[in-house]
Order: sequence, then C-alpha cells, then structure tokens
Amino acid sequence: MQQALTRKLESFEPLSDQARWALNRLVLKVRQVGARQNLIQEGDKPDNVLLILDGFACRYKMLPDGQRQIMALLVPGDFCDLNVFILDEMDHSIGTISACKVVDVPRQAIDEITAHHPSIARAFWWCTLVDGAVLREWLVNMGGRAPDQRIAHLLCELLMRLEAVGRVTDNSYAFPLTQTEIADTMGLSDVHVNRTLRELRTLGLIHLKHRVLTILDVERLKAFCSFAPNYLHLRNTRWGERRDLSWPGTAKEG
Amino acid sequence: MSEQGNVETLIVLQPIAVDTASPDREGRLVIANGLLVAVLVRLDYPEHDNIGNWFLEVGFGRLQGKNAPTFPDLEDATRWLRRHLEAA
Repeated sequence: MQQALTRKLESFEPLSDQARWALNRLVLKVRQVGARQNLIQEGDKPDNVLLILDGFACRYKMLPDGQRQIMALLVPGDFCDLNVFILDEMDHSIGTISACKVVDVPRQAIDEITAHHPSIARAFWWCTLVDGAVLREWLVNMGGRAPDQRIAHLLCELLMRLEAVGRVTDNSYAFPLTQTEIADTMGLSDVHVNRTLRELRTLGLIHLKHRVLTILDVERLKAFCSFAPNYLHLRNTRWGERRDLSWPGTAKEG
Repeated sequence: MSEQGNVETLIVLQPIAVDTASPDREGRLVIANGLLVAVLVRLDYPEHDNIGNWFLEVGFGRLQGKNAPTFPDLEDATRWLRRHLEAA
C-alpha cells in the first residue's frame, strides 16, 4: 500500500532511501468504502489526510436547489487535500464515485514525516500545487471550451493521470462515472452529456461500454480538444531532468 | 414575465425543428405573452434515459441557465414553465 504513496510522490520528486524507509514505516489504516458514499462532508472537522488507493472519488458541493457541482476527481494515488487539516472545517464534501480503497493518514504522521524529510515535504507541496493547477485547468475547461471539447479534455486528462499510476491498458481505463456525474462535473445537462458522448463515438474517438472507456485515437482526441498536459506536471511529460534539485536543504537526496 | 395581479401568463408552443447536432430535432418555441422565453426539444435519440420526454434546450430571461427536469409531456413542461415564469 505504501508503494502507491511512494510511487505517487516519486512521480513528482526523487526520494532518498531514508525518505522511502520512513514512508514504509507509516502505519496506515486501509478501509473499503462502497460506491457513492461520503468520505467527509462540508462542515466536518478534517482530522486525517485521505489517500485513494483504488477507485474514483470526487470533491463536490451541493447548491441549495439540489444541484451538485463536482470540482475534482480523485483517482488512485490522489490525496484528498494534504494540508486540509490545517483548516478548521471542510468547505466542501468528498465522496466516492465507485467503490474505493481509502487510506487515512493521521495528521501527526504527516507533520512528523515532513519535518524530518524535506524531499517528502516538497513532494507533498508538489501534490498540492498540481491539485491547484488541475483546478485552474478545469476552470478554463468550464469557461472556455465547448461541451464536446470539454468532455474530450476530461477524458484525455484521466488517461494521463491514470496512466501515471498504472491504471491504463491499451488506452482503456475504468470509467465509473454515470452520465449525471459527468454532467455535474462539466456543468452540463445529462442530455448534453449524452449527445456529446454520442458525437465523440460517431467521430471514432472513443468507445464506452460496461464502464470501460477506450480512447480509439489518442492523438486525434488530444488534437480535438487542444489538450496540453503541462498542467499535470507529470515527470514523464515535463522538464524533470532539466530541473535544478540543489535547493537549500535538499542535500542531494534521491 | 412581470404580470400584474392574477392574470395568467399566456403560453404558446410553436412547432419548430431544432439543430441539436444529434437526432433530437422536434422542438417547440415557447412564447409567453408574446416573448420567446425557451425552446423545448423532444428527446428522440434512443440512448437517452428518458426517451420521448421534453427537454428545456435553452431558456431566455428568467429561464436562462435554469436546471429543469425533463418532462413526460408538453402539459407538464408548460406547468413547470408557467411556475418559473410567474415566480416573483
């Protein structure tokens, strides 16, 4: 289980042997959570940092008229807010979409491990910054792209994110979102989502069956929505090797 | 719609074909007291969950951006539209 955590962090930041050892020593509780259950709700006091090991979850808010807006999708390896425990209460809810395996990392463990291992602290920062970058891209997506490109963009993003954690086979990945959940994520109606998925299928770009999404032509789908993966800051797509790791205090870890 | 007293809004549904970039094309212009306030479209594409229902394709004025359910028939749609047009 720690491997998921280590793998995730190392996709951002090289870790020293000591850092890896410290991560492996963390005693973490894994729990199974059914589909469409709340992990934490708006107004709750956040105690632990949640890490998704398996399944899809989302961050959402409910509007007074019952409309739901999903602001983020959390896939295996994603933290539900690393620093959220610094805040007093949740300003949004986090719920599962499919059945999930979730790890609760106690806040004290996060405090201790980051105090002793700057590379882990930096990798945690990196996670938080990337979450912010993804949120910015979603804002662009919602405000600036037509519905078909908007959905195509989400599908490209999920391909990259799931590929980074080894959840893609032959450009196919588990896609547990219902049409309504896509609608809640993309700010569209169910009807528009349905029509758009149909269009993407008709164009020969995707295939969606039994909750498995296959991207039939990745390059064409990316071109269709002008997808640029820079905002994901994944190691295999960025300038990692050009990066100056000799920050003060890093002592050439990794 | 600003209506005084208890005068009911006059709603007229006028058939129109709508290009939705999908097989859904049978539509109605919704005209309330002489003003175009919405376009309804019948869901004909077989993969819709609620095939045959009427969908608020677009709303204008007070109905702009409203999330509406889909309606089993035009009477239901008209009732919903009236309620939202007449809401203070």
